[in-house]
Amino acid sequence: MDYDLAEFAVSHAIKLGADYADARLENTTANDFILKNGIPQMSSFDKVNGLGVRVQSGGCFGFASTNEPEKEKIKDMVEKAMKMTKAACRIAQHSQMSEAPAENAQYEVKQKTKLDDLSPKEKLNVLFEIEKSIASTKVDAPGRFFSLSDFCTEKYFTNSEGTKITSKIPRVDFWHFITINNNGKTAQRYWQYGDSGGFEKITARNFPEVLKNEVIKMDENMKKGVKPPKGKIDVVVGPQISAIMVHESVGHPYEADRILGREAAQAGETFITQEMLNTKIGSNAVNIYDDPTIEGSFGYYLYDDDGVKATRRHLIKNGMINEFLHNRYTAAEMGTKSNAAARATGFDREAIVRMANTYVGKGDHTEEELIEGVKEGVFIRNFTEWNIDDKRLNAKYTGAESYTIKNGRLGEPVITPIIEISTPALWSAVDATAKNMEYHSGTCGKAEPMQAIPVWFGGPSMRIRNIRLGNEK
Amino acid sequence: MKMATGKEAAAEKLLKKLQAAGADDAIITTIEDSTSQIKFANSKIATTQSWLTAKMNVFIASKKRLVATTIKDFSEQAINDAASRIMKFAAATPPTEEYGGIAEGPFNYTEINDTYDQKIAQLNEKAVDMAEAGINAAMKAGAKRCAGVLETSATSYRIITTNNVEANDKATKLYFSIRAFIDKYASGHNVTNSRVLSKFTPEETAEQAAETAKQATNPSPGKAGVYDVLFEPLPFSNLLAQVGEAASIFNVESQLSCLAGKLGQNVGSENVTITDDATMPNGFNSSKFDAEGVKTQKNTIIENGTLKTYLHNTSTAKRHNTKTTANAGIISPMPFNIVFKNGKLNKEEMISKIKKGLIVTNVWYTRFQNSATGDFSTIPRDGIFSVENGRITGAVKELRISENLLKILKNAAEAGSKSEQVFGWEVELPVTTPPVLVKEVRLTKSVA
Repeated sequence: MDYDLAEFAVSHAIKLGADYADARLENTTANDFILKNGIPQMSSFDKVNGLGVRVQSGGCFGFASTNEPEKEKIKDMVEKAMKMTKAACRIAQHSQMSEAPAENAQYEVKQKTKLDDLSPKEKLNVLFEIEKSIASTKVDAPGRFFSLSDFCTEKYFTNSEGTKITSKIPRVDFWHFITINNNGKTAQRYWQYGDSGGFEKITARNFPEVLKNEVIKMDENMKKGVKPPKGKIDVVVGPQISAIMVHESVGHPYEADRILGREAAQAGETFITQEMLNTKIGSNAVNIYDDPTIEGSFGYYLYDDDGVKATRRHLIKNGMINEFLHNRYTAAEMGTKSNAAARATGFDREAIVRMANTYVGKGDHTEEELIEGVKEGVFIRNFTEWNIDDKRLNAKYTGAESYTIKNGRLGEPVITPIIEISTPALWSAVDATAKNMEYHSGTCGKAEPMQAIPVWFGGPSMRIRNIRLGNEK
Repeated sequence: MKMATGKEAAAEKLLKKLQAAGADDAIITTIEDSTSQIKFANSKIATTQSWLTAKMNVFIASKKRLVATTIKDFSEQAINDAASRIMKFAAATPPTEEYGGIAEGPFNYTEINDTYDQKIAQLNEKAVDMAEAGINAAMKAGAKRCAGVLETSATSYRIITTNNVEANDKATKLYFSIRAFIDKYASGHNVTNSRVLSKFTPEETAEQAAETAKQATNPSPGKAGVYDVLFEPLPFSNLLAQVGEAASIFNVESQLSCLAGKLGQNVGSENVTITDDATMPNGFNSSKFDAEGVKTQKNTIIENGTLKTYLHNTSTAKRHNTKTTANAGIISPMPFNIVFKNGKLNKEEMISKIKKGLIVTNVWYTRFQNSATGDFSTIPRDGIFSVENGRITGAVKELRISENLLKILKNAAEAGSKSEQVFGWEVELPVTTPPVLVKEVRLTKSVA
C-alpha cells in the first residue's frame, strides 16, 4: 500500500481549510465458498482496496471514499468532501472530538496456517466433511447450507494530529443453516463461528463433529420434545443465550451514539440515558464487559478507527451501569474520553460506535450447580428466532435445544420455550453465573448504509429466577 | 453518466482473455457509481458522505466450475493478471454439476420510463437544500426533532457476455428517510424513493412522519391478544419483501421458503396478487436486463391467492424444466420490484371495517423461527394505534407481532386503493403496496 496517498488526503484536506482530517487506506483480500445440499455453489475471491477520508470543518463532519486510490481521484474526492461539508455546515451539528494522544503503532495477527497457502478445493473440503458427518447421523436434513469465508485486511490510519497506525488482521468465518424434517414437520437452526487468525482456527473448531451433534440434538428435540411449562419459572440459559442477550440488551443500548440520537432513524435509540450512569440495572451477579483486545477474537483490534488505543470496557459493574461505548465524537459530547469503540466495516464507511467482543463476566459456579439450584424450570442451551425493539427494552428469545429441569436435574427435551422479557427485568432476575465461558460470533448490523461488522458475544451459563416462559404454539 | 471508453475496452479485453483461457461462459458487468448521502439527527446534519466506485463484476464457468470476482483495476497489466487468476482459481474448484449455463443473446431491450434524470446526477451540494427542506417540513408540522438520510446516486452499467449479450443501462436514484419524534416514545417514520426529481417528495414525506408522531403521543402499554391489523405500506412492505425472497427458486431449493412445494396452490386470500416488475416506470430497482443480460419482464408470483411461479435464472429454469423469469442473480434469482395489487377502499373505509384492531405504521427486526413454515415475529415501532368499532381510540406501545407469513397472506382481507413505493433500511428490496388489512393477527409482549 502506498501510505503517501493517505498522507496526501489528510494534508490536502488541511490545505483546503479542514480543522481536522483522517484517512484510512485499506487493502482486503477475501475468499467465499458455499455448499448447498452437497453441491458447491459459485466460489468467489476478491481484492478490494481504497481510501476513505474524514474531514472536520467549522465543527462539521464530512466523509468521502474512492475505490480508485490515485492521487488525482483523491484530490477530487477531498475537494468534494470539503464542499459538501461546508455546504451542510450552516444546518449541521457543530461537534468536537475528545482529546486523544497521537499514537504510532504497527500490529499484525499471525496465521499458523496461512489463508493464502490453501487452495479453494482444500477450503471447500471442510464443507464436504461436514456434509459427510451430517449424512452419517441418518437424520433427515433436507436443507444443508454452509458458508465459509476468509478475509484479511491491511489498514493504514493517519490523522492530522500525528497518529499513524498500521495493522493486518486476517479473519475466518463459517455459518450454517440447517433444516431437519420429521414426518413433514421441520425445524431450523442457524449459527455462525468467526475468529481472527489463519485457517488453523477453522480446523480447531472441528465443524464436522459440532454440526453432527447439532443435528442429532435437533432431531431428538423434534421427536421427543414436550411443551414447556407455563407461567413464572426458573430458567437456566447456556452461553449462546447469555451471548445474544448481552449483545442485544447491553452492548447496543450502551452505544453512546444511540444515547445521543445519532442513529435514531435507522438502528434506533436506546432506553438508556446519560443520567442512568452509576444507577442499578441488574443484580449484583451481573458484570458485563466489551473487550476488543481478546486475542483470536472476531472483533479484535488494538487501535480503533479513530486511532485510539483499545481497552477493555466494563459496561455493567455488579449490576450498576458503569460505562458506555464511545468514539471521540460521543465522548466529547458527554464530556469524557473515548474508550476506542470507533469502527468502520471498510475504507468506504464512516467510523461509528460499535461493539467488539461483548460478554457477561463469569461466576464461580459450574453449569450443573446452577441447574441443581432449580426445583422446577427449563434449561435452554441455544436458540432460533430472536429480536428486540429499537430502544433495546423488549426482547424475545426462542429456545432450540432445551430441557425441563426437575428437582435440580435435566429432564426431557422441550420444544420452543419462549422468553419475552424487558431488559431491566432480565438482568435483575439473574442470580448466578457459571464459569463455563464461551464466545460466539456474529456480524452485527448498524448504520445507513449498513455496516455489518464482525463481533464476538459471550458469557457463561446464567440462572434467571422466576421469569415468565411463554409457549406460543 | 457515460462509461469511459477505457473501461469498456478493458472489459472486452478481459472477456476475450477469459474465453481464450477456456471459460465456457463469462459475464462482465462494469459499474460506475457516484453516491452522496446527507445524514441528519436531532434535526441537524450529522455528516455528509460521498462514494465513488468503479468496478467490474466478473462471473465465469469453466467445465461447470463457477467463479465470481470483482476487479477495480482497469489497467492492461491488471486485466492480464485477473484472467489468469480467475482461471487458476476455477481449476482448483470442484464442479457444480447442476449448473445449466447462461442465456444466449442478443436481446432487444426496451427503455423504461423514469429511471434516469440528469438533474439528479448533477445535484451535488444542492442535496443539502433538499434535506433541509425535509427537516424544516417535519419541524413545521410539529415534530420536536427528526433524524434520517437523504441519498442521491447516479450509476452506469454495461454488461457483456460470451453468449452474445452487450447492453448498457443507467440509473439515478433519490431516497429520503425521516423519523420524526415528539419524545422518545412518540415517533413516526416515512420514506420516499424516486428515480426522477419530479416525483420525489421529501417535504410531504416529512410532514406525514410528523403527523404520525403527533398522533402517537402518550401511548398506553399494549395488550397481548388477537387483533385485526391495518398495516401501512411501510410495515407491509417489510413482510412482502420476505414473500419476494421466498419466491426465489434458490430459497425454495434451500428449504428456506414457505412457498416451497406450493406451486399452483392457494397461499393467500383472493385479495393477494403479487407481481415482480423490473419494467415498472420509476421502479427503484427497475432495470432493462438481469444479471445475465436477459431482457426483464413483469412476473406474476401470486394471482388472487394462487402461487403462479417461482423466480428463475437460465440455469435454475433448465433444472426445473421451465423458462427463465429474467430474475438472475447468477446463483440466486432475486426479485426487482415487488408490487401488491391495489384494492378499492381508502384508508378511512378500511379503518371503519375494524371492530377490535390496530394500525401498525412501521415494523423492524423481522426474524423467522422457521422460514420453511413461515413462522416469524416482528416488532411494531413508531406509531401504533388501537381501533375499536371503526374508530381510532389512542396510541399503544411495546407489542410484538408473532405470526406466520402464509397466515398473513391468507387473512389479507382488504387492500387500500393507494400504493406507495417503499425502500429503506429495513426494506432493501423495493416494494410497492397499499395499506392492507389483515384479520386475526397475534400480538405478544414482554414481561416488564
